[in-house]
Amino acid sequence: MTPHSPGTGQINTLIWIGFFAALLVVVVINLGLFGAIRRNRAGRGRTATQSRGAVGLQWRVAGVLSGFAVLLFVLGIIFTSNATSTPQTTSAGLTSYHGEKLEGPLLIKATGQQWVWRYNYPNGSFSYYKLVIPAHTEIELKLTSTDVIHTWNVPDLAPKVEAVPGKDTKVYFRADAEGEFWGRASTLSGQAYASMRTAVEVVSPERFEEFTTELQKGIRAGNEGAEEIESEEVAELAEMEEDSAAESGESTGEGEGESNE
Amino acid sequence: MNEAPRPEIAVDGFPRRNRWGWMDFVTSADHKDVAKILMVGSGGFLFLAALELFLMRLQLAIPENTFLEPVTFNRVLSLYGATSIFFFVLPLVMGIFLFVAPLQVGARGTALPRLSQLGGALWVAGAAILYSGFLWTPSEAGVNPLPPLSELAFLSNNGVDTWLTACGFATLGFVLIAIDLATTLQVDRAPGMAWRRAPIFAWAASVGSWLMLFIGPVVLAAFTMLMIDRNYDGTFFIDGAGGAPLLWQHLTWIFYSGAYMLVLIFAFAAIAEIFPVFSGNELFNRTAVMASIVAIAVIGTLAYMQNMYTAPIGIGWKYFGMLMSLALIVPVGLVFYNLIATLNGGALRMRAPVLFSIGALVMISLGLAAEMQQSLVGAAFYLKNTTASTAATSFALIGGGIFGGFAALHYWFPKITGRAMGEQLGRLSFWVTAAGTLLAFVPLALAGWEQDQVVDAYKFFNHTGVNFYNLLASIGVLILLIGIVLILINAVASVKGGARAGHDPWGGDTLEWFTVSPPPVHNFDVQPDVRSARPLRDIRAAIAARAHEAEERAVRESQPVA
Repeated sequence: MTPHSPGTGQINTLIWIGFFAALLVVVVINLGLFGAIRRNRAGRGRTATQSRGAVGLQWRVAGVLSGFAVLLFVLGIIFTSNATSTPQTTSAGLTSYHGEKLEGPLLIKATGQQWVWRYNYPNGSFSYYKLVIPAHTEIELKLTSTDVIHTWNVPDLAPKVEAVPGKDTKVYFRADAEGEFWGRASTLSGQAYASMRTAVEVVSPERFEEFTTELQKGIRAGNEGAEEIESEEVAELAEMEEDSAAESGESTGEGEGESNE
Repeated sequence: MNEAPRPEIAVDGFPRRNRWGWMDFVTSADHKDVAKILMVGSGGFLFLAALELFLMRLQLAIPENTFLEPVTFNRVLSLYGATSIFFFVLPLVMGIFLFVAPLQVGARGTALPRLSQLGGALWVAGAAILYSGFLWTPSEAGVNPLPPLSELAFLSNNGVDTWLTACGFATLGFVLIAIDLATTLQVDRAPGMAWRRAPIFAWAASVGSWLMLFIGPVVLAAFTMLMIDRNYDGTFFIDGAGGAPLLWQHLTWIFYSGAYMLVLIFAFAAIAEIFPVFSGNELFNRTAVMASIVAIAVIGTLAYMQNMYTAPIGIGWKYFGMLMSLALIVPVGLVFYNLIATLNGGALRMRAPVLFSIGALVMISLGLAAEMQQSLVGAAFYLKNTTASTAATSFALIGGGIFGGFAALHYWFPKITGRAMGEQLGRLSFWVTAAGTLLAFVPLALAGWEQDQVVDAYKFFNHTGVNFYNLLASIGVLILLIGIVLILINAVASVKGGARAGHDPWGGDTLEWFTVSPPPVHNFDVQPDVRSARPLRDIRAAIAARAHEAEERAVRESQPVA
């Protein structure tokens, strides 16, 4: 991963902290283990000498281990709360939208469906598959799902979050670089799960406003999104989803029509 | 001094039950026979699980492969999940516990043998349902069938139902066996065997059984609720109808985390039996190891929310999961410390059980260290559901289940069958399996960490930087499969062709080595008094003292009287 937002920077640091802690654990355990094996192999008439553990020693070892655990716990909380804190929109970001001053984050709704993501923008327009956001702007992505659990996962920009039917999950992030970022759904959601990808295009605030305005002007978002998709099956699915977009709210099947004969 | 104590058993005069042959075996309520069914079965399912893993890796060897259809891949994946957890690792653990622990505490049988018998039968029924179900409509819902995907609306054939029934039967079987085992270990210990003198493996069997009694019913409830959802218009996991899809994650992760801990304490306890015997030393600080085993079972199960860091639950609960996961460092660290300290000052004989034990400790250290990294909430925001998380879990469970399991099997095989497993083939299979495991899961960990390769996907895309890793991993799984086949061949061939082992081939200190191999139906003619944690060593010392005394008397009596 290459972090391009303040939150993912924190996540990346925490991963490295965890990696070095893990490396330390592995090295200490295995050096101890193989050292003990090397020193205490049987042979040349070696006989065992009894050694018994002392309770005091156990407390000291447990104390060291607890200190290590507490240290990791504190670091974990610090970096996690940094990663989940809401990043403020900077002056280079989207400060006004359609002439109105933007207070707080830019609200975008993401809906997971088998097997494509739908993004709703504040002006009522929407796109499939590809999310376009302004750079340097705090985004509040409100995730939900209309069918099964999907995990929204764009590692360079934001923590991964599960979109669960009936729950609104919010994730806050701010993209600090323009460009296109990839994401892959990461909870098994059925047959085309492996192809359920998403892209986030980070553009300048001006371009974002143009883009959503064009979308709103009746350019069907699904078509534009679908062009980008390499895999044909997803493109077909996107079109299918688009056709049934109006009904998509009702697709939370309760299995009434089907019976298990 | 080294004279082996003679088992006080007159087997020849005892009536053997041979009238019905095989029928006699499968209708037996003897804990050893039930355990043999579980162990033999789990060996077969180990092969199937490895084969299924290999099929999936074959599909994932090259990018955008079309070897398996997406649906077929999901079916194999679901089958692999059920097979490896419910039909390989848990029956192996419960089977070895059920065979060895009653012998170790000097019991003449289990307290509630019909429960174990029913448990074994339920497990066999579950296995039969899973694999006969596979022939027509297997589940497509993955390793853990998360609703709503596993609800009728999304998977309308009865694959999920057979999956749930099979795993439910197996779990119910484990719970029944756990009731029998916990009772036996509580009430049927030999005279003088207080818990502080009980073998560490029997202690782990007791703790593990209690753990199963807590976690088994939880997952059975989840399975039942999903069955009601699917078949009787229930709404437990359906949003908008009063249910909550997230409930499933809570219930099943409690079980899966507990089962994970069960495998770990099984492996740790087996190694805590093997290291002292093969290094001629006493287990370093038994009390701390016993306490740590309980702590691992309790804290590890409470850490189940470690699996829900990306789910919409409060951040406080995620921190609680992290706290419990990191708290595990203390008991697990103490177990590692004491196991390694046990070797100190000993004279370690490098036999196959020791080799597998060392392999288990290395793999578990890799797996748990990576789990520790991923238990940091922020780190899991990226690493969760990548192949890095699969690799961590696989290292720990292959370390505990395959390496720990086969360390235990190599160690107790002479007691179970009366013959030792082949040493040469044992060593070969160890190195092949270890190489395969490392080659399979280190590249996957890198692919997950560097390139965010996601789990459970039937394909990965070209030009995403993971081609080489996946190819390596597929080769690794092939080697792992070969290693597993070698282990199984060794076990099968040794049942008839192994070297005769006698009742105490390793110079063990615990009571299971007091009876003949294989033990008779009633285990012991005489229950010895237990005066220490190493009763067999006491008996050896007593025999040596008696022999010495007799020698002295002979010398004294041969002196001419002055």
